[in-house]
Amino acid sequence: MNRSMTDAASTSGSQDIVVDEVFPHAPETIWKTLTSGALMARWLMAPTGFEPVAGNRFTYQTKPGGAWDGVIHCEVLEVVPNQRLVYAWKGGHEQNVGYGATLDTVVTFSLSKAENGTRLRLVHAGFVMPRNESAFKTMGDGWKTVVGRIGDIAGEE
Amino acid sequence: MIQAAPIDTVMRALADPTRRAVFERIVGSDEITVAELTRGSGVTQGAISQHLKSLKQAGLVAERPEGRNVYYRAAPEGLAPLVDWMSHYGVFWRERFANLRSLLKEIDP
Repeated sequence: MNRSMTDAASTSGSQDIVVDEVFPHAPETIWKTLTSGALMARWLMAPTGFEPVAGNRFTYQTKPGGAWDGVIHCEVLEVVPNQRLVYAWKGGHEQNVGYGATLDTVVTFSLSKAENGTRLRLVHAGFVMPRNESAFKTMGDGWKTVVGRIGDIAGEE
Repeated sequence: MIQAAPIDTVMRALADPTRRAVFERIVGSDEITVAELTRGSGVTQGAISQHLKSLKQAGLVAERPEGRNVYYRAAPEGLAPLVDWMSHYGVFWRERFANLRSLLKEIDP
């Protein structure tokens, strides 16, 4: 948690989402789930036209909003097999405010050795506030989920 | 940077399940009166008014008096203090990570 707080604080005007977990599997196995369209479809979303090659452009279809068709346009920026995958994650429409507003972000997956397996760190960076506030909330699965959890957190205190 | 105090206030305001339900009903409607909120809520109008007071203090709800009625609407900017907090959660990606954990277990037992 401290690391993600630091990350969020270090980029003024934009917010990052950071998820960092250790999986009891080899990096090669996890790499497959990040770079095989069939496997990506089973845990993330089904990509269209994805290839793990720098410069490759692909899309994800998400929920449309206003003038936006819901398509996330991605471009592979960096591929280091079994270590690092970076792609641009763009969508939205400038006519939209809130959900569907212009979104220009970058997703980075990093794999590193951990004591009991492999650490997978995701950084989804570049949520500019407040224009992308809605997108940010949606990527955080919407405020309703968050609101639901506040009850749990507040109850724990 | 977002201060700790407002986050605390917002969290406190939404920690109560009834108050959270009231807030969600306000979010779900354009504008709504106390009477409409009370109807079918299972609590008294006085209790609803108290919840509205807390939500107003947390900046989550705005009011507009018109004639004998007061109309309440959600103030989404009141949730802004949560945005920083949400960055820690990244619920979307966390859920996807949970999916990934299951998938890995299946393909690499």
